[in-house]
Amino acid sequence: MLVYTFKRLLACIPTLLIASILVFLFIHLIPGDPVAILLGDAATPEDIAALTYEMGLDQPIWTQYLLWLGNVLQGDLGTSIFFHEPVLSVIADGAETSILLALMTMIWIVVFGIPIGILSATRHGSWVDQITSGGAMLFASIPTFWLGLYLILIFSVGLGWFPSSGFPSISDDGGLLNIRFLVLPSLTLAAPNAALIIRLVRASMLDVSREDHVRTAKAKGLHPMAVSLRHIFRNALIAVAAAFGFTFAALVSEAVVTETVFSLPGIGRLVVQSILRRDYPVIQGVILIIVVLYIIINLLVDLAYARLDPRVSLK
Amino acid sequence: MIIMQRVLWIFKGRRLALIGLFWLCLVAVVALIAPLLAPFDPFEINPIMRLSEPGIPYLFGTDHFGRDSFSRSVYGARMAIIIGLGSVSVALIVGGVVGMLSAYFNRLGHFLMRVVDVLMAFPALLLALVLMTLLERSVTNTIIVIGIVYATTTARILFGMTLKLKEEVFIDAAKCAGAGHGALLFRHILPNLISPILVQASFIFAFAQLQAAALDFLGLGLPPEIPSWGNMLSEERIYVTRAPWLLIFPGALIILSVFSMNLVGDVLRDKVDPRFKLDIKGI
Amino acid sequence: MKRITWMKFGIIITVLTLGAGTSSADGTFRYATVGEPPSLDQHVLTSDLATTIAHHMFEGLYTFNEANEPVPLLASGETISEDSKVITITLRDDVMFHNGQNMTSADVVASLNRWGEHGARGGLLYTNVESVEATGDYEVTITLKTPFGPWKNIMGFINGGPAIYPVSIMENAGKEPISPENYIGTGPYKFSEWQPNRHVELVKFDGYVSPEGAADGYAGMRVAEFDTLRFIPVPDVGTRVAGLKAGDYHYAESIPGDLYADLDADPDVRTILNGGPIFGLVFVNSKEGLLKDNFALRRAIQTAIDKVPALQVAIGPEGLWRANGSFLPEGNVWYSESGIENYSMGDSESARMMAEEAGYTGEPIKFMVSTNYSHHYDSAVVYTRQLLEAGFNIDLQVYDWATLIEKRAQPDQWDMFFTHHGFVPDPILITVMNENYPGWWSTEDKISLKSRFTEASDPAERQAIWSEIQGLIYEQVPTMKTGDIYTYNIASPGLNGLGEATLIWPHFWNVSN
Repeated sequence: MLVYTFKRLLACIPTLLIASILVFLFIHLIPGDPVAILLGDAATPEDIAALTYEMGLDQPIWTQYLLWLGNVLQGDLGTSIFFHEPVLSVIADGAETSILLALMTMIWIVVFGIPIGILSATRHGSWVDQITSGGAMLFASIPTFWLGLYLILIFSVGLGWFPSSGFPSISDDGGLLNIRFLVLPSLTLAAPNAALIIRLVRASMLDVSREDHVRTAKAKGLHPMAVSLRHIFRNALIAVAAAFGFTFAALVSEAVVTETVFSLPGIGRLVVQSILRRDYPVIQGVILIIVVLYIIINLLVDLAYARLDPRVSLK
Repeated sequence: MIIMQRVLWIFKGRRLALIGLFWLCLVAVVALIAPLLAPFDPFEINPIMRLSEPGIPYLFGTDHFGRDSFSRSVYGARMAIIIGLGSVSVALIVGGVVGMLSAYFNRLGHFLMRVVDVLMAFPALLLALVLMTLLERSVTNTIIVIGIVYATTTARILFGMTLKLKEEVFIDAAKCAGAGHGALLFRHILPNLISPILVQASFIFAFAQLQAAALDFLGLGLPPEIPSWGNMLSEERIYVTRAPWLLIFPGALIILSVFSMNLVGDVLRDKVDPRFKLDIKGI
Repeated sequence: MKRITWMKFGIIITVLTLGAGTSSADGTFRYATVGEPPSLDQHVLTSDLATTIAHHMFEGLYTFNEANEPVPLLASGETISEDSKVITITLRDDVMFHNGQNMTSADVVASLNRWGEHGARGGLLYTNVESVEATGDYEVTITLKTPFGPWKNIMGFINGGPAIYPVSIMENAGKEPISPENYIGTGPYKFSEWQPNRHVELVKFDGYVSPEGAADGYAGMRVAEFDTLRFIPVPDVGTRVAGLKAGDYHYAESIPGDLYADLDADPDVRTILNGGPIFGLVFVNSKEGLLKDNFALRRAIQTAIDKVPALQVAIGPEGLWRANGSFLPEGNVWYSESGIENYSMGDSESARMMAEEAGYTGEPIKFMVSTNYSHHYDSAVVYTRQLLEAGFNIDLQVYDWATLIEKRAQPDQWDMFFTHHGFVPDPILITVMNENYPGWWSTEDKISLKSRFTEASDPAERQAIWSEIQGLIYEQVPTMKTGDIYTYNIASPGLNGLGEATLIWPHFWNVSN
């Protein structure tokens, strides 16, 4: 297992390298000048040229890349052009929101997704099954920003239950209670992803229930409910664990739209804003970190898979 | 007639999905004959009639330019079909070629799948965002970008399925009968993959609609003057309380269409060869 | 597994119900902004948002009163020599920086010099400056090469203007905006923290010594009532409105005109008009391309456009816009009717003939616009349709703002582009007067009128020359004004001390809950 993990980690290096070159190239090919944006509408071309030189943005792209790579290897992701702050600390600021948002979304998914999935699998083919599967699919068909907009209108403007937008850090006044700012955004994000988990739980439970050991259990005269919950659920968990891993990685980064609607200071919005401002170091930093995160989660999922299911062998 | 019967057989007992299929056909027909159906020019600006409520002659009301929302919705159906079919074609052609070739030729596959891995490590929406800023806003670019994003998953899926087929006895048989690479891939392997590909296509079609709407919302999708449902929503979203109809109609159109496509995809998946069932993702 | 999940759920719900009751700490003022400024350094930045935040921290020697006249702020007065070339400014001796130091002439000279060399609007004054010297602990003397009428207006305009920083910070400051840890000014609020995408926070400065006199515009008494000011980026306008209605913000900026009637009638919301209107400008390329010096063709384009429908579409209710051809609004000292008969003709027939006479044969005209500002885009769409009708082959190119800024700096990339301009107290500050600004209008007629304009110091004479310049703008069409737009912000009705209208940027000293 250790050897396997090590090998997998080693295999990540070329992936990361290719990814970093791609990101660097993509981003520097985008038209738009961070310096002009920084200086504003009244800046003259001379001003812009002077500052471009000062910031080293006039160097050839390969020089810039190698410089950047060298710094990254020493743990320095550079300084944000826009915020004049180390990229790492800008990202760390955003990470709090993104991770809490993803965690909270996962909680909704677990709370709604798994029971509903079990319910529709145990009542396979009944009207309950049809309604829950259909409903889940309907939720997955709603554009996120549309859903978010109406949630704000109903639950914060109309009913006043939850704050409409923003997220003060949990280290700020209000402390842990500040996570109430994340209720509506996490529900918005949970809607499409819960559908995925419902479907997965349902499908894997149905698959497992056709397997021999469950049939044996039934034949032994165990109560059908006990069979479905104990045996089936544990096995189905394996498939679901895999799905969770990816959903989590996706939540951290795919929350762009939700974070924009709710004005959350998360990673997703940071990327969009940085793209619009051409804040190259931040875009590169965030994407690099997300890719690393993805690779790590990928690895963890595979390892977990092997632990949970002895039939899977690692090679 | 025979086709109708076959469709009815596939959708037996799935009434909701049948309604979905019907809705999709309706959207397709509307898209085809949009100029005949639209009572107004979708680009016609009329400041005096701006933000009119739904009624006669503006069935869905007018937007803040005074443009007829119904006419724009009708042309929006056309855009939905173009985006859907376009992205599906890009995803299937690029993803299909990469996936099948990779599975068939081991050496090449090793390299290509590594590239696919790298691309898959980029979250879909981020990849689309960066690509859209790099290119500029246009219908073609939106289609290409969304297509590329889904080409990676398609390549992965087809890679897996082709690998499975390669081991089958009938392929060996064909090889012994002297079939070349082309014949093996296209005459023997591809036909077996048609139905799972069709399912995959239906899900890509649905996702593409949502992805395009998200890009429109972030201001990086179709050019803003193009009448598409996503553009209508994002351009008029500030009027959610002032002129709610501007968000309800296009919103409902997107939801209904995506939902229908998902329902149809779901039914098709149930009919797919059980060997491939686990490979296909979707909702 | 299942039990744990439900327990978690229970805890969350309890936490949330408790949380919903507690409101945020008193004494914090929350302002929903459209975004984040790149920096708050007033010398370099001309973004209105930057000034809205920064003028609570940074002050200049002069500021504007309600009547838009420049009056002393950190200065206490000045004397001007007979030939108008030597200006001696006396400073207040009780001004404290946020770092606890007393402000002296050394700080002022260093700040003026850095602004003159690197500041966005510093060049306007400094091209005319012979020397700036400290002639006493609290006295600064400015010697000019030629008399320069608008000096006080330029010094009082804090946006891209001469904010006063300590000399220790100015010593190391160059072209690059100074960084947040060096945000040390003299204002009633001092810098606290900047959390990217979350907020910029200012806190009350206890050592603040207010200028004397009753509050009048930005002049007079300044009292920090709130302990903390927070400027929170809320880019989505729907969310800003919803957030203010829900009580999450005290103040929200940049609200679309179409919502005005509803919000004005809403008892939970107070609408506050901004006093000085902003105006859209369509710049024409004077350096390269088809329109470079073909003034007849430019006039043909100007004739084809009817500005009213664009204002109706982009802004909405009448009362929030005025189809006014004068660059400064009616009632302002700079108001002029010179040339405005050409402002909004909307005559496509004449335009077609004029274009033909000017030798236009349907070459594409590249018109760049950004979607970041919806009123730019909306107006450009309307103009494009009008111009197409008059036979012009308009190629509308839609970009994000960052791309547009880069493209407009390249003369071969465009023929026209759309931008807007904030209200300014002196026409010399309007971008079209700057020959380096994209568009690069620098015909001989302009240059000679401009130097006459800056050399004159008699107000009536300056007004007359400005009138001539405006006439020339309608003749040579280096830019086309689209109309006055009265923007408005919304505030929670509980705030005391807010004026009926904002002068230029909203300010929150003297404002309490």
